[in-house]
Amino acid sequence: MECAVEARGLVKVYPGGVRAVDGVSFCIRPGEIYSLLGPNGAGKTTTVKMLATLLKPTEGDAFILGRSVVRERYEVRRLIGVTPQDLTSDDEMTGWENVYIQARLYGYPAGEARERARWALEYMGLLDVAHRKVSTYSGGMRRRLEIAMSIVHKPKVLFLDEPTLGLDVQSRRHLWDLIRRLRGEGVTILLTTHYMEEAEELSDRVAIIDHGRIIAEGAPGELIAKLGGERIHILMPGPSEAEKLAGELASSGWSARAHGSEVVVTVANAAEALAELAPHLRGAREVRIARPNLEEVFLELTGRRLREEEESFDAFRYRVMTRRLRR
Amino acid sequence: MAGASLLLAWRELKKWVGRRGVFISSLVTPLLWIALFGKSFNLQALFTPPQGAQLPPGMVEAFRRAIEERIVSLFGTTDYFTFVSTGMLVVFAVFQGMFAGVSVIFDKRLGYLERLMASPVPRSSIYLSKVIATVARVTILDAILLGVALAMGLKISGAGPIDFLVAWVYVVLLAAALAAGYATMSFYAEHQEAVFAASNLINLPLMFSSSALFPVKQMPHWLQVVAKWNPVTHAANLVRHHLIGAPVSDYWLSVAYLATVTAVLLGAGLYLSVRWMENR
Repeated sequence: MECAVEARGLVKVYPGGVRAVDGVSFCIRPGEIYSLLGPNGAGKTTTVKMLATLLKPTEGDAFILGRSVVRERYEVRRLIGVTPQDLTSDDEMTGWENVYIQARLYGYPAGEARERARWALEYMGLLDVAHRKVSTYSGGMRRRLEIAMSIVHKPKVLFLDEPTLGLDVQSRRHLWDLIRRLRGEGVTILLTTHYMEEAEELSDRVAIIDHGRIIAEGAPGELIAKLGGERIHILMPGPSEAEKLAGELASSGWSARAHGSEVVVTVANAAEALAELAPHLRGAREVRIARPNLEEVFLELTGRRLREEEESFDAFRYRVMTRRLRR
Repeated sequence: MAGASLLLAWRELKKWVGRRGVFISSLVTPLLWIALFGKSFNLQALFTPPQGAQLPPGMVEAFRRAIEERIVSLFGTTDYFTFVSTGMLVVFAVFQGMFAGVSVIFDKRLGYLERLMASPVPRSSIYLSKVIATVARVTILDAILLGVALAMGLKISGAGPIDFLVAWVYVVLLAAALAAGYATMSFYAEHQEAVFAASNLINLPLMFSSSALFPVKQMPHWLQVVAKWNPVTHAANLVRHHLIGAPVSDYWLSVAYLATVTAVLLGAGLYLSVRWMENR
């Protein structure tokens, strides 16, 4: 089998006419970590929901180990594990109960379900807190519990929708290690994220998605290499000054573009170029050399930043808050 | 399918019992209802001659007997507490139905439903678990209510174990019907407020236009018509018939009607809920 997950021209138009996904095709090879990277609202979650049989594609089809997500939904459901973006565990129950119920739902008899639950909790490093109520867990523990609930039946393909949303750097790194370990066991992983570092760090291949379309695909290193050179970001007091500087630089032979109040100059060697640029930098608020990364790739392709439309308050905390209110 | 339904229903009950506050308040509320509502209205006191009234003893006795006869013909018992506490067994089925909907809304909003729907659990089990959990909650609440009512003076005349069992079946039918309706509505509803609003709109009329709290025969004609079509009336009449021996006008017609309403709501709910889950 060539693809563990294959999307063929997936389109999703929501009632009301919003075209959330607009013709997405890709092939995830077995045992690969493949990331959908894009800003909020790019269509990542909708794509995953179609692959996970939660939404019906308006057009197109997708295949999980050869099974159609349109025509063989129950077969697909047996093969996949899904970690939704939301924190879905019952916080008034223990971690153990949450995972155990999940195991039973996949049809394991009591004894085997206990073994499976134990394995999943141990795998995610939660065994020692398994009998505590989930409401006492930290953010990182809750995210790990979500994954434990999704791998209890040993899925061949795992969908992780923003698995580290709202986590601090340490918990995020811990989770990354665990995700890599899962790949090591042959699980094919589709990850969605709007954290550039996460996609770069974890994925074998990345698809950059924007406005429901894949605009670039490849290994992170490849995509970055294609970008070529290094970037110098010059922050100006305002967009008009940035426009002016970009024009000035362009006319003297530089490759420069304005993005809002910022001018981005592409150069072969940033350290050398800085000396030559210095005379133009009068009035600049801040000058920064950017190591070429996926953020730069996205900016180059779309003229926008990945996290331009980041929520004003932390979505994760909000979710935790609403859960507290419920109790 | 049965396994998954029961498992998911167990999850709900566990959470229900685990939320001490909610659990205790759902126990206390019914008890307050029967204690205050049932005991504050003493039917016979209405017809006891005032103290110091100069009436010939024979007339008092004849009057009392005539009144009692009338009361019994309306209520099926001379004790309002007995009347209303048996009706309350049915009212609970009505009010707990809403929680099947609330539970669907929360599973939807917190993403648990998506997790379930991404698993091979039959969609019908997801729906049925809400109905089963509601039936179980009603059973527990009613058992406690019945126990307390008996301690407070509910007069059951010659009801045997079979009568309790059969009465329970009718309560279950009504609870299942309402749970099915509310669960289905909640799959389609966008906000929990919609379900609360609907239940406010449905529950009170359903309760007051039935024989659960007041006898139908003393209602104005138009309300009697409504009450006759209200499944709560039939459930209340059947439960009373078994527990306190109150007469029912047509026993099997009531049974058939109640069972039909439940079957239709359960069936339509099953179809619509599964359709919602599979066609998004």
